[in-house]
This record gives sequence, C-alpha cells and structure tokens, in this order.
Amino acid sequence: MSGDYTLEGLSVPESLDRLHDLLQQVAEEHPAVAPTDIMLFETAVIEIAGNVVEHGRPHGTVAWSFNLAVLPERLAAVLSDDGQEYALEEEQLADGRWAMPEDAFAEGGRGLALASVALDELDYSRSGGINSWTMVRHRREDSATG
Amino acid sequence: MEVRTEGRRAVVTGPTRLNMTAAPQMREMLAKAVADGSPQIVVDLGKTTFVDSSGLGALVGGLKAARQAGGDLRLAQVGDQVLQVLTLTSLNRVLRPFPTVEDASREW
Repeated sequence: MSGDYTLEGLSVPESLDRLHDLLQQVAEEHPAVAPTDIMLFETAVIEIAGNVVEHGRPHGTVAWSFNLAVLPERLAAVLSDDGQEYALEEEQLADGRWAMPEDAFAEGGRGLALASVALDELDYSRSGGINSWTMVRHRREDSATG
Repeated sequence: MEVRTEGRRAVVTGPTRLNMTAAPQMREMLAKAVADGSPQIVVDLGKTTFVDSSGLGALVGGLKAARQAGGDLRLAQVGDQVLQVLTLTSLNRVLRPFPTVEDASREW
C-alpha cells in the first residue's frame, strides 16, 4: 500500500514512540480530520504495534513497516512485519471483531478487542512470510476550520 | 511518574503515555504503595494523554491489589483519550474517573 506517511523500524518498545509522534504529525498536517478520529486510530495503531513488539519473534529483531493514507472518507493504514505467523482463533476473526475479556478484572487480553472497536475494519493476513494488519477508520466529521 | 503517600492514602502521577514502555513501572509503583500500607490510591492522569491495553492492565492490577488490602484505586483528571478507552473497554465501571484528585480522595 502506498500511503502519505511511511515509517519503518524494529519491533522494540521505543518504536511505539515513533508511531505516536507520526500520528501527532498527521493531526497537525490534517486539521480537517476530527480529533476523535485521529485519537481512536492512534489507539488502534499502538495496540497492533504493541502486539508485534510483545509477540513478534525473535524478540526485538522483527522488522516492521507502517504506511498510512489520509483519505477524504477514511484513515487507512497497513502495518507489516516479518515475524512468525500469529495464532488467531477463527471464531474471533469470523465477524472481524475481537471480544473483550468477560472478566472485568482481567489484566490482559484487551489489545485486539480495543483496536477492533476503535476501527471500522481490522484485518490480518499472512503472505510470503509477512504479517499484514490493515486498519481502517471512516472519518466521522470535519472540524469547522477544515 | 511519581508517588506521594500519606498514611493509607497514595497519589500516583501518571506518565504522558501510559503504554507498554511505562506500564511495568506503573504496575510496580501501585504494588509498592499497597505493600507499604497505602491501599487508598488515586492515580492522577492529568498529564496522561494516552493509555493502551497494557496501561489498563497495570491499573486493573493495582485496583485488585488495593481492594485486597481493603482500599481502592480511583482515577483523577482523566483526559479524552483515556475516557474513550475506558468506555470502549467498559472498564469505566470498575476504574472510576473523578474530576480532581481531591474529589477522588473523598469518602473512602
């Protein structure tokens, strides 16, 4: 995917700060995008990237690339990495949504579910040894200054 | 991130981004406050502009530890993104947000 913004790096925690900074840059350069849209998109991006950092093997050596396009109707991004294939449960993928943990006091397991509800589309695919996460959020509204 | 304790009460100041790089430290600070005898914890998120699921996990871990020690964990000065994330995960039911640290510290 060709996007307006591209970032590459290794799956280490510090790379998350670079993604945060990139989304901040996007917000500054596209004032017509509603702050809520950027905020929730950023939330999803960091969850997915965090997933790659946490679960990508070999640890810290997985290379990733991030492409983001700001389109009139939506924000769209693809995060790709060359780590091992993710073991996703089929029933979670069936409707494109991941469920929140039933236990309100669970300390983990909310990452993909949170990304999923922050987005309109979240898809995972594996091809040629590359994992690709596609993230789309439809833009809800334009600011008055658009 | 810093913690101020006064008897059974503790106020922990959150970092700018409570993501997976900061979450382990938050988890440790909350556990230490409880272990040191201050299970009535307010986490001041006035400076925190972003939280992710690992940050939420650290807060839930602190909440559980605090309640087991007869206290509680409450959030103060929650910003837009944090509030959205709490709502989307339904965690606003157990991690209660208060407008100020003072409000959160009343009526334990």
